[in-house]
Amino acid sequence: MKGARLSILGLTLSLPPLILVLVFVGLPIVIGFTFSLGFTKGPNRIISIIGQQIHVKDHWWGTFAAYSDVFHDSRFLGDLGLTLFVTLLSTILVILMGLAISIYQRLIRSKQASILVTLAIVPLFVPVVISAWAIHTFYGGDGFLRSFFSQFGINFPTLTSTSSAIVIGSVWTSLPFAILMISSGMQGIPDALIDAAKDCGAPIIRIVSHILIPLAKTPIIIAASFTAIGILGSFTIPLFLGPNQPTMLGVEISNFFGSYNRPQQSLVMAFIVFMAASGIAILYVWSNVKSAKESGRI
Amino acid sequence: MMKTEDGMGLELRGLKKILGGRVIIDDLDLSVSKGEMVSLLGPSGCGKTTTLRMIAGFLAVDSGQILVAGKDVTALGPDKRPSAMVFQNYALWPHMTAAKNVGFPLKIKGLSKIEIKEKVEAALELVNLLHHKDSRPGQISGGEQQRVALARALVQEPDILLLDEPLSNLDAKLREKVREDIRELQRRLGITTVIVTHDQEEALSISDRVAVMNSGRIEQFSSPQDLYRQPQTEYVATFIGSLNRFEGDLQNGQILGGTDVIGIRPEDLTISREPMEGSHSGIVELVIPRGHFFEVVVRRKDGIFRAFASENIPTFGEHVHVKIKKALRYQNGKLVA
Ligand SMILES: Nc1ncnc2c1ncn2[C@@H]1O[C@H](COP(=O)(O)OP(=O)(O)OP(=O)(O)O)[C@@H](O)[C@H]1O
Ligand SMILES: [Mg+2]
Repeated sequence: MKGARLSILGLTLSLPPLILVLVFVGLPIVIGFTFSLGFTKGPNRIISIIGQQIHVKDHWWGTFAAYSDVFHDSRFLGDLGLTLFVTLLSTILVILMGLAISIYQRLIRSKQASILVTLAIVPLFVPVVISAWAIHTFYGGDGFLRSFFSQFGINFPTLTSTSSAIVIGSVWTSLPFAILMISSGMQGIPDALIDAAKDCGAPIIRIVSHILIPLAKTPIIIAASFTAIGILGSFTIPLFLGPNQPTMLGVEISNFFGSYNRPQQSLVMAFIVFMAASGIAILYVWSNVKSAKESGRI
Repeated sequence: MMKTEDGMGLELRGLKKILGGRVIIDDLDLSVSKGEMVSLLGPSGCGKTTTLRMIAGFLAVDSGQILVAGKDVTALGPDKRPSAMVFQNYALWPHMTAAKNVGFPLKIKGLSKIEIKEKVEAALELVNLLHHKDSRPGQISGGEQQRVALARALVQEPDILLLDEPLSNLDAKLREKVREDIRELQRRLGITTVIVTHDQEEALSISDRVAVMNSGRIEQFSSPQDLYRQPQTEYVATFIGSLNRFEGDLQNGQILGGTDVIGIRPEDLTISREPMEGSHSGIVELVIPRGHFFEVVVRRKDGIFRAFASENIPTFGEHVHVKIKKALRYQNGKLVA
């Protein structure tokens, strides 16, 4: 009796944020999704009038014509490939660098190590536009690196407007959060657990692979999924640093919506990015549940 | 047990450690025979853990030598030393099952899966925890975790077993049981053991010899009986058991003025309702039941006596006589015969 009343109270208390999310996030998603399927009435009426190449539904459930448009567009396929490649590579680099720095700090526990971590976190306080511009002037055609190397007669390649520059920029902006996450996870591991492994004769490599990384698994997975989702939907970095073609989907969605006035196709792409992000989110939840089960919390 | 012919289990020679600019351990010597169980006993901050961590290799010594089973291990890291440690909070890895925890040192040694399984099961059997081999540390009780930690240490077949306050997280009842288990195992396996504790009852009941430490030095290293009956310094006398302490001189049972320190154990006082030769008279101020005996506090005209009595217990307010049977005398903190 009492339990039931309590759970109703709990539900009531959590209702306001739930409603907020449903109205301001859920509803637009539904409206957007129906538009991508060719529902051009109601809230989608105005955009259907303004936009070009709008497909109108021909079944009760809608039409996949806009999806078909997008998937037959070689431009999109190139963008998708680049987006996935940049996301995967940058995430791997971010996690590897985050692990290296956090593990170094955890094992060495010196002043230098702490300074290194603090420095690595600084970019967190720099707005992305600013850092994108800074990276541009560093790696650009008339940038610092090329000017510097030209003093010695070396022709350093121009990195801006290449996918490498997107990777560099993505790593630069994502690394601080990953380090923050992973290093706080590493710092939470008691000394005794490391000492116990040393006492068992374990060399550093084994301590890292069998004790530190497994014990910091949850923050590592959080860092990896947030990094991946962030890069997947990034806009500023590829806009400033990437090539025009192929580019990342964040930029392309904006192009389709604004420059080409093809809102339906742009929405389809947004949904594809959304699905990919959801996939990462599911991976994240699944691994959290698994580790909670393993440690006997649920 | 204390014969050196048995071979040395552990030898510390002139150990010194400075931490944070302070001398924490100063010129510490200790010889432990093979198969002996020794306690490091002392108040908080006296350097017990520091000493143990130097033996295990987690802390480098500033000077001195550490020999385990006759071999100089001073320069070796913890992973290379033939010692195994049981940590205060057990330090079990929460992501591994009991069997994985115990098997880890064997895996590091590169033993085959079958060998590991056999040895792990034998070790868990030894501590009566085979039924929990697939449980994780979070799923078993503190006492059971403690035994897993013990199994993880024993499975390494170390030359020396180091225990840092292994029982301090257990409740009183369990503590007694686990310490008996540890002692029984230690005897059966004949493994040289150093156990750190600040609980004197634990130290006295579990060890062959006890090293009483005081600010980085060993005050006395002897058997529990000697420690209690013949405390070599005033510090040890007051630290171990309870003591009636007086400044002055003892003659014919009477306390006179003087600069020595007289220490009398409560059981070395006889309480009677009749006056005895050289006895002191006083009024019973407090009677505290201590299980199978009573602690009686008697107020005299210049101070109090604490005595133990098991029969003819006086009652509160009663007039009694107290006679000193045996006393310890200290000059400048040192025992004089
Ligand atoms: N890393 C360090 N830097 C400076 N001082 C230290 C360090 N480690 C320990 N100490 C000091 O050394 C002294 C002895 O410490 P230790 O941990 O050996 O004491 P202990 O006898 O084990 O005490 P407890 O019973 O409280 O565990 C303490 O005064 C402590 O403050
Ligand atoms: Mg200690």
